[in-house]
Amino acid sequence: MTCSPSRFLGSAALALLLLTGCATRPPADDPEALQEFRENNDPFEPTNRVMFDVNEAIDKAVLQPIAEAYRDLLPKPVRSGIRNVLGNLRTPTILAGDLLQGNVTRARETLGRFIVNSTIGIGGIVDVGRRYDVHGHSEDMGQTFAVWGAGEGFFMFVPLLGPTTARDLVGFAIDVYTNPQSLIGQGQILDVWNYTRIGMTVVDTREALLEPLDMVRKTSLDPYATLRSAYRQRRSFEILNKDGPGGAVAPAGGVGFGQGVLEPQ
Amino acid sequence: MQRMLLPRRLLLASLAGILAVPARAQQMDISRATNFVDRAGQDLVNAINDQRLNQSQRRDKVASILRSAIDIEGTGRFILGRYVRQASPAELQDYLKLFDEIIIRNLSSRFGEYRGVKFSLGRSQQRTEEDALVSTLVERPSTPPFTLDWRVAEINGQPKVVDVIAEGTSLRLTTRSEYSAVVQRNGGRVGALLDAMRGQIAQLAAREGG
Repeated sequence: MTCSPSRFLGSAALALLLLTGCATRPPADDPEALQEFRENNDPFEPTNRVMFDVNEAIDKAVLQPIAEAYRDLLPKPVRSGIRNVLGNLRTPTILAGDLLQGNVTRARETLGRFIVNSTIGIGGIVDVGRRYDVHGHSEDMGQTFAVWGAGEGFFMFVPLLGPTTARDLVGFAIDVYTNPQSLIGQGQILDVWNYTRIGMTVVDTREALLEPLDMVRKTSLDPYATLRSAYRQRRSFEILNKDGPGGAVAPAGGVGFGQGVLEPQ
Repeated sequence: MQRMLLPRRLLLASLAGILAVPARAQQMDISRATNFVDRAGQDLVNAINDQRLNQSQRRDKVASILRSAIDIEGTGRFILGRYVRQASPAELQDYLKLFDEIIIRNLSSRFGEYRGVKFSLGRSQQRTEEDALVSTLVERPSTPPFTLDWRVAEINGQPKVVDVIAEGTSLRLTTRSEYSAVVQRNGGRVGALLDAMRGQIAQLAAREGG
């Protein structure tokens, strides 16, 4: 059996779960420190910080330059089209999320957008739904677990995927494994297609994060702590379906840097 | 309902904030808060788009508007959180001065880049008994619009901004995590945070050229 790219990503993420070291619990006579320790819920902080540094190194050497070149080389309409196509391809995950959360209105929007954008929008290149004020939104299994009442679990930082939590990482793995595009069979063409899709998603997401991450690196005294907090806040916001009128068009899903992915600049 | 769904962490954090700021906040009237944000926001937009000002003049103008609109001391204390009591009086005084400089520099350099910005009031809602959350929509040429929520509290009889929330991410909660991590990773010393803040101000000043 060939190892499909999505399966590889999932296994790599799970392997990271096992490679962890522990944070020191504050003494019991300091209730405020203990409370903060519980709120941070980051028992593997030392390992996470190493992973964060690894990610920073990879990012500065490879991902960020690629994302910058991508922005410089391709005109905005092309990048916008690519982002729209990727967002459209996430429809099965988003629709499943809407339905599993019992949100019929949003499910109808998702399905309507998919039909209109895939046909009139030429395979999702043009976001026709948006022009009629039916904006895209994000959903993923991590959010569905949260709506069902699951806690977020401990915090994790996974190189290439970014900040996440136990709940969101499990959700992400389920989203990857159940994606129809990784289920419909095997073969070279499909593998190439999946690698292309995942590669484009990474580049597109990183391009959307160019300014926000620059800002964090420039202004934060502890970028790791800033991203940990921003990720959690952003997730609560997404779970409550409070996305603004800017609208996330190709949401990063269960992982991301505490940022919605908007229209390209 | 919405409040029930909010993570406990947020509630605890705001509770800790209320305890840290000794009963200065009074009931905030929602229309008063909205008018205040509208006025301060228009002042900011006018200063940012004023063609007659050069970059440093614009930054100064933006800084002075921000300084009068934001409750810098209360926000600074909220962000320092439990370390307010661990800091010596001299450290606390230093911290508030450094915090003032960092927040004003960061916000004015960020807003200063928003040439051609437009802003409008969105739906606004009362959030807690002490403060109001006023939602605005910020539009810039060639970038997608985004929502910016302003948390406004009545401080000594004046409405003041106590937090800015961009697409769900609160500046004061994020900064609080950041500062707390710096103190913790340096053996619980507030002095280490002050050193880091001084270093940051030096960097910001070098980048701005003054």
